[in-house]
Amino acid sequence: MSTPILKQGHYLIASLQPEQSDTDLLQLQDILVEQVGRFRSRGLILDVTLLDVMDSFATRTLRNIAQAVSLRGAETVIVGIRPEIAFAMVQLGLDARLSGVRTALDLEEALAILNRRCQEGMCRD
Amino acid sequence: MAEYTNQDSEKSLMEEIGITDREIANRRAFLELGEADEKELLSIDPAAQAYADPVIEDFYKHLLAFEETRVFFQDPQVLERVKRAQKRYFARLTQGGYDKDYIEDRLKIGAVHERIGLPMKAYLGMYSFYLRNVAHRLFEAHEDEQGKALRAFLSLLKVVFLDMGLAIDTYINRREQLIGKQQEAMRELPTPVLRVRERLLILPVVGVLESYRAHQLTEQLLESIGATRAKVAIVDITGVPLVDSRVANHLLQTVSAARLMGAAVILTGLSPQIAQALVAIGVDLSQVKTTVDLQSGLEEAERLLGYRLVPASDKPRSDQAHP
Amino acid sequence: MTDVIRIAIRCDADIVLVRQQARLLARELGFSGSDLTLIATALSELARNIVEYARQGEIVLSQIRQGRQLGITIVARDHGPGIADIERAMQDGYSTGKGLGLGLPGAKRLMDEFEITSAEGQGTTIKATKWVR
Repeated sequence: MSTPILKQGHYLIASLQPEQSDTDLLQLQDILVEQVGRFRSRGLILDVTLLDVMDSFATRTLRNIAQAVSLRGAETVIVGIRPEIAFAMVQLGLDARLSGVRTALDLEEALAILNRRCQEGMCRD
Repeated sequence: MAEYTNQDSEKSLMEEIGITDREIANRRAFLELGEADEKELLSIDPAAQAYADPVIEDFYKHLLAFEETRVFFQDPQVLERVKRAQKRYFARLTQGGYDKDYIEDRLKIGAVHERIGLPMKAYLGMYSFYLRNVAHRLFEAHEDEQGKALRAFLSLLKVVFLDMGLAIDTYINRREQLIGKQQEAMRELPTPVLRVRERLLILPVVGVLESYRAHQLTEQLLESIGATRAKVAIVDITGVPLVDSRVANHLLQTVSAARLMGAAVILTGLSPQIAQALVAIGVDLSQVKTTVDLQSGLEEAERLLGYRLVPASDKPRSDQAHP
Repeated sequence: MTDVIRIAIRCDADIVLVRQQARLLARELGFSGSDLTLIATALSELARNIVEYARQGEIVLSQIRQGRQLGITIVARDHGPGIADIERAMQDGYSTGKGLGLGLPGAKRLMDEFEITSAEGQGTTIKATKWVR
């Protein structure tokens, strides 16, 4: 299953799908790290609204994506972690693994976070 | 008897207290109440029926002599009815067959005493009065057979203690039910999630945070953040008397989960005692924004939300421009 | 209501499948939304453990009743290499694979009861239960 990736100005937006397998996720990682470079994106939004589970593998992969795209100059914001999923992640002890990644409630907020970073001079225009 | 409640609820009283055939056998065995006792008691039954009336008269004289017990029998009609019931109750003690029906009947009576609010000490005191009264009469009636009187009286003691055990159990059962209901009410004691302004929530937590409530608090907070798109939530624990390491960890987890959703949590109202205690037990709240009181929490929240408070006094009020 | 659901775990797509099945069963049993997620997450970790270390195995989901309490029991069984040091495997952050090392201890935290038996060279069986609150 492939993940829809939208390009919005300097940013990429990927909407993760609920039936994604581990293989799909790893594939997504490759694609995003590549595309961030190709489009010279300054920000990446990972939308996880549709996910029904965020287990240790998914969390690790998202963190790896964030770290890898950051090496290629883009900041990552994770959007749409639902209440019960946030709770499960904390119970699992996964919250600490994502401590370096920004999170936002919705797309609007995520865009605002990335825009602020751009205004702070992190971003060319 | 009309004052007893319907069959169904009393059936469940047996169940609630856990009276099964086996339990009845256990209780009887423990009291060493056996067939010999039944025979012993049946043999004094004629005498018992003979002294029933004077005993009841003495019994109520004593009851009515004390303010504490008198209040239950103000109405003469009630008194007459209760007297008759009480006489039947005592008469039953020497009629054998201390089986399931007997026990069910005794439980009902215990429940009635509990319901009208008769104190346990009065129940026990009156039983003591009754036993002493009966002892005198029993030994009088069997002047030539003191040994028999003693045996019968000891058998009577066993049945009476069986009764008292059952009555006390109904009292305890009712209290336990009450406690259960109160606990449930406590659980339902809501922690309101207040929307203060756009994207800002306040949760004033009052009372003890046991694990069920702590879990509920987390769920409510996270749900509300999702539903209202709050960016900042203030959890005020001024009204929480005690924060141990377990509650502190729970608060930490909640803050962490909120962060994953994209919201910041500010913890306010940590009393000096709680702050000291948390440091002493080694809870690390350094990852959590804490402020001393709700006011400074609000100020911090407004800063996070990008608000700036400006006095309105020197500005013309727009709402006064329109009549 | 189906009493027992048995799902063979052979590849990572099965992890998704078993999660969905567990959700359906748990919802029927009356678990709340947040508990459904906890169960699905725990199951995800257990199934991945099978794929990663034993290649294949099975997961059995069943309902359990104890007095008035209703619950769901997950049994994850494989005939893989087994776990040499269970105590160590249950420590946070310990992993011999590509995971975060939170899989087993994490799954234990998500469930109410957790039991693990394993023998080197013979495989691993994990039994975990969660009760409806």
